[in-house]
Parts: sequence; C-alpha cells; structure tokens
Amino acid sequence: MSATTTAPVDLTPAGGGTSGASGPSLRRVVGLARANTILLTRNKMTLAYALVFPLTPLLLLLASDRGDVTAGIGSVTNVLMLGALFPVYYNLLSMVVTRRDELVLKRLRTGESRDGELLVSMALPGLVVFAALSVLAIGVSSALGQPLPSNPVLVVATVLLTAVTFAGLAFWTAAWTRNAEAAQLTSMPVILLAVIGSLRAVLPEATHRYLDLTPGAALDLLSRIAWFGQDQDGAALSFADSFAAAGQPLAVLLGWTVLAGVLVRRSMRWEPRV
Amino acid sequence: MTTTSTPARADRPAGPDHGTSPATTPGPAGPPDPDAAISVRGLVRRYGSGKDAFEAVRGLDLDVPRGTVTGLLGTNGAGKTSTLEVIEGLAPATQGTVQVLGHHPIKDRATVRRRTGVLLQSTGFPGDLTVAETARMWHSTLSDPRPVDEALDMLDLRGRAKVKVSSLSGGERRRLDLACTLMGRPELVLLDEPTTGLDPESRREVWRLVRRLREAGATVVITTHYLDEAEALADRLEIMHAGRIVRSGTAGEIAEGHPSTITFDRLERALPDLAGGQVDQSTLGDPRTVVETVDLQTTLTALLDWARAERVRIDGLDARTASLESVFLSIADGAEADTRRTEPTSKGA
Repeated sequence: MSATTTAPVDLTPAGGGTSGASGPSLRRVVGLARANTILLTRNKMTLAYALVFPLTPLLLLLASDRGDVTAGIGSVTNVLMLGALFPVYYNLLSMVVTRRDELVLKRLRTGESRDGELLVSMALPGLVVFAALSVLAIGVSSALGQPLPSNPVLVVATVLLTAVTFAGLAFWTAAWTRNAEAAQLTSMPVILLAVIGSLRAVLPEATHRYLDLTPGAALDLLSRIAWFGQDQDGAALSFADSFAAAGQPLAVLLGWTVLAGVLVRRSMRWEPRV
Repeated sequence: MTTTSTPARADRPAGPDHGTSPATTPGPAGPPDPDAAISVRGLVRRYGSGKDAFEAVRGLDLDVPRGTVTGLLGTNGAGKTSTLEVIEGLAPATQGTVQVLGHHPIKDRATVRRRTGVLLQSTGFPGDLTVAETARMWHSTLSDPRPVDEALDMLDLRGRAKVKVSSLSGGERRRLDLACTLMGRPELVLLDEPTTGLDPESRREVWRLVRRLREAGATVVITTHYLDEAEALADRLEIMHAGRIVRSGTAGEIAEGHPSTITFDRLERALPDLAGGQVDQSTLGDPRTVVETVDLQTTLTALLDWARAERVRIDGLDARTASLESVFLSIADGAEADTRRTEPTSKGA
C-alpha cells in the first residue's frame, strides 16, 4: 500500500444526515441476491443438484405410456417436491449456515441492509430456480404427452406457497444446525415431512387424515387438482370446482407457511453457534 | 432503553482498591450529550439469565466528541466488543441509554446506519466472491456510496479486484473489509481491532487512513491491543476494565498521577523510609520487590543513599516513570481483585 495511490481519494463524510431515509430496499435485495446467485453458480455440484436432479422424475414419462395421467401426476409432483427440497430447502439451509459461520451475515447486518432483506436475498436464487423448474416441467411434460396445467392460477399459488414454506423451514433448520456438515442430518426431519405426504397412497387409510396435514400431501393433491383437474379419487374437476377442491390443501400449505414464518422470527441466528 | 443510569452507576468502584491504581476517572455525568458523536450513560450488557447470567458491561458512561479519534483500550474480556455491539446497533442494551449521532442505534436504525461505518473484529466475506464482486455487493446496500473503484483504490486493492477473497492474504482481506467500511462516506467510523494481523506497512497505511478521516471531519472510535497505536492515533483514550471505563484522557493525562515504580531483586533486610515510596504489598515474598512512588527522583535518591550508607548491593535495579503501558498493565493486573470484589459469582472478566 503506497501513499501515492491513496492520496487523491477524498475522505470527507457525506454528511447526508439531514435525510433520515435509507436507500431503496429493492436495490439492496437485488444487489445481495446477485452476489448469492454468483456464489451458487461458483459451486458446480450444488448448481447441478439444484437444476438437474429435480427434473429426473420426468424421465418416468419416457418409460410410461404417452398421456398416462397417473405417471404424469407422479412425475410432476415429484419435480415440485424435489424442487422444493433441493434448490429451495437444502441449498438455502447450507447457504445460511455457511454465511453465518463465515460471519458474512454478521458483517452484512452492520450495514444498511435490514434483516428481512438479507433473508429474501438468500432465498431468492433458490426460488427463481424453483420457478424455472416448474416452467421446465410444464414444457417437458407437455412435450411428452401430458396436459398443460388446467388451472394456472392455482399452480402459481402452489409453487409460491411451497417455495416460501420450504425457504422458511430452511431458515428454521439453520437455527439449530451446528455447521454446514451437520445439515446433512438436520435436514432429515423436513425431508421426511415432505416425502411422507407423497407416500399417502401406499400407507394405511387410518393415517390419511394426519398425512393430509403435511406439506408433501398438500403439494401432491394440489398438483392433481391444479395441473390435471382431478380430485383425490381421480374424478374430473371443472375449472370452477378446482378452486373449491384446492381450498383444503391450500389452507394446509398456508398453515405451514405461517408456521415457518413464526419459527424463523423466533429462532433466526445471525452469528455462529458456540 | 429507558432505564435510568443511576442504579448501574451506584456500584461503580469508589476508588483505588488494588494498590497501584489512582482514583477512578469519573465518567461523563448527566443526560446523554446530543452533540456528541456517541453518548452512553449507565450501559449494562448482560448475557444469559439467572445463575448463568454474566455482565460484560457494568454501568459504562462514555462521550465521544465529534471529529475526534477515540481509542478504546482494555484487556481481553474487558467488554470493549460488547460495548461496541450496542453502539453499532447489533445488540440491545440490557440497561442504560445509548445515543449515536443523536439517535437511538436500533429505533433510528436507518438514520444511524447510513452515516456510520463499522469494521468488526473478524472479517466476514464469502470466500468464493472476488474482491470486485464483494465490493459491488456492499455498494448495492449503501445509500450514498463512493464508487467501487474509488473505494478499492483507497486501500490499494484495485490490482486485486479479480482475485477471490479466499485467495487474499489476511492483510488484504482486512483492507477489503475497511474499503467496505468507508465506502458509504461515514461520519462515524467504528473500528474493532483494525490492524490485528496486518503487516507493519499495512498497519501504517491504516494509521494514515485514520488520520485522514479525522482531518476530513469524521469521528473515529478504534479498539486495539497495540498501546503505541492508541497513543499515536487517538486524541483521547478510554481504558475499560471489567465492564467499565476506569480511566479516560490523553495518554499523558492517564499516566499523570499514576505512581512511578522502582523494582529490584529482593533484599534480605528491611528497607528504610523511602520518602513517600511504598512497597507494593502484593509483591511481598516475590523474588522482585516493587516500590511505588509519586516522586521517583526523591524516592530513588533515598533508596540509593541508604544503600551506600549501609553498603547494601541492590541488584536488578529498574526505575521507570508511569507510562500508558504501565497504567494499562496495572489495571490489567488488578483484574482479579476487581472481579472478585464486584462480581463474586461471575465467571470472570
């Protein structure tokens, strides 16, 4: 460091103290999310897991009869499930734990960014990947003979609620995850919670009323209703009926979203666990 | 934070308790000073609750005048970082009032933050971003930032712009951290151990930067373990011990009135009257005897006159005037006694 290079810079404080307003929130979120996206792309393995792995259930469609709706429901639901679990949940979980342990979160909190902005900026890359996966699933499945979503409004609502729920669960899991390695174990309960709902069909009927309360079951049912226009038992639903049928699973997802939000608010940790 | 500071100040140490210290410098009193860059009254910061509660800050009063450099000194565990975190708005005060640039650091967060630059004790940036990407990320969060290139130039980092943070040396990483701290043109700069781990040349560069910040009108608070650094940079020093400010002023003011010391190998006979010099009772039985005096020349003369008259050989003789270092060390030495007295159940400072 030589004095010659540093001399010309004017160190006069801005003195902008008269205005109390802080800069625009959106600019901060976008700037931080861009950095998080760069970091996501730097890790090729993570990126592959986020982008490619969730699409693998669509391969099922190649092996089944063209237009087989049961196969369609299975593969689409699994794409959404894996999308929620990998790019949204697991990536975010390991990102939060890593950034926290690298003291990045603590450093960012000394600046003008607000806590909510930090959370959104970390969740955004995964949410965008999840949305992109959903669009890709529409394209690929329809190319393989599956119908287009019968109720796009409900599909969008399902994708959004699922994404926010699993993002919230990621922040909550991070709170009690000691380090990035431990995330492999601490992520299990949420993964189980997501997967067990989709096993509804093979589990005894007595368990159904509980299973229906899991985000996985709600996601499974919503993809039937919103995408394939069918109710739980396979009966066709009109566009109008699909809204009514979606009420219960949407309420379940919304409940999980709210619960995740409460858990984040209560448990979020910004500094390494000691 | 509406609690008054009175109860917290009531248990402030009343005077010298561990022999070597002169009277405690009284902290600023009265209501918080709205014109000060930082004004703290009766700050208490407690971790945990019940039996495990630990008070890291125990009734701290502090005023940092605008446009000055203040050095916050103290041994590890004195409560420096705990205090800074409250001033930075990262943690709430358990008790007491804190005003930063005339505002509440948490309630008036937006106003305070855009005018403040913080450097934490440990650097925290993602290793996989380059220097330029990190600076751009930080830039996007600021209201009125200087350009990224200018901030990098300021710490001579432009040539390293494309290097990943994980490949930087510790000093370079610290400079990147500082570049971000100063990117928002802050009026108030809080630097927690900015030069720890820097090579001597980088350290001098940080010193130059701090001086130029002050010349440009900014207020700087700096914590450091290097007493020479504090003495060289700070207009005013605040020495913390066991959660309180125990001494404030310029380095000269702090050393003033503090006893000089004469040290020598223990003699096998009783010492004479040393013209005001007192043997430090806590060193009785040690191989080295320590005599403290406010008048070094007279006491030393008395000792040497006696030695000549009595034909006593004094080995390992060392006489020194009080310095910032000796005051600091005597405060640090008092750590145990002080902690025992004020917090019998605590885990220590």
